[in-house]
Amino acid sequence: MVTAVLAPVAGTAIGLVAVPDPVFSQAMVGPGSAIDPRREPGQAVAPISGTIVKLRAHAYIVLGDDGRGVLVHLGIDTVQLKGEGFRLLAAEGDRVRAGQPVVFWDPAAVEAGGRSPICPVVALDAAAGEVDGEVRGGVGAGDELFHWS
Amino acid sequence: MAADVRAIIAGLGGVDNVIEIEPCITRLRTEVYDASKVDQAALRAAGVHGVMLAGNVVQVVVGPDADTIASDIEELIG
Repeated sequence: MVTAVLAPVAGTAIGLVAVPDPVFSQAMVGPGSAIDPRREPGQAVAPISGTIVKLRAHAYIVLGDDGRGVLVHLGIDTVQLKGEGFRLLAAEGDRVRAGQPVVFWDPAAVEAGGRSPICPVVALDAAAGEVDGEVRGGVGAGDELFHWS
Repeated sequence: MAADVRAIIAGLGGVDNVIEIEPCITRLRTEVYDASKVDQAALRAAGVHGVMLAGNVVQVVVGPDADTIASDIEELIG
């Protein structure tokens, strides 16, 4: 079965290797991609359909019914912001469909605070070969980003 | 693979070496008193995905169970 993983935010798909955090760039928690977001306030959406099993202001994990989890991390080191500048649009435990808004945030504010607003999108614990069809370049929130097979 | 909580504490140099543990989705941000007591090989053997050491801060990458593992460690540390 192939899961289409959607871009959670609008911007430029740059690949996981370009993320300035070794946990993501070295794919320690799984392969995937990353988006350099458009610098304007906007909604981050669910990358797949399923249940929100983890929801922090700056990051969330959606677990599909097939047991596959996708992590979206809004910016790097943004745990340090303790939720400031982020607004939750869903709750932990909610069922969401792919493309449904989860968090409202402002990448420009994250960057103004001295942090990278780049958003890793990770197929948690997937084998490297299970992710393909990765899109590069401009994407809108909810556009296909990669396939998990 | 679930990481072994006791082995993680041992790899961090034991209970007495740990100042603070904070989970962040996929990793434990840990502050230790003595970074030289951190055994990266032992941590990897404990089933973690990766270890990053910067000064007295050790980031232990454990995967999405970070919250659960952190609270298990807090319980053991007491």
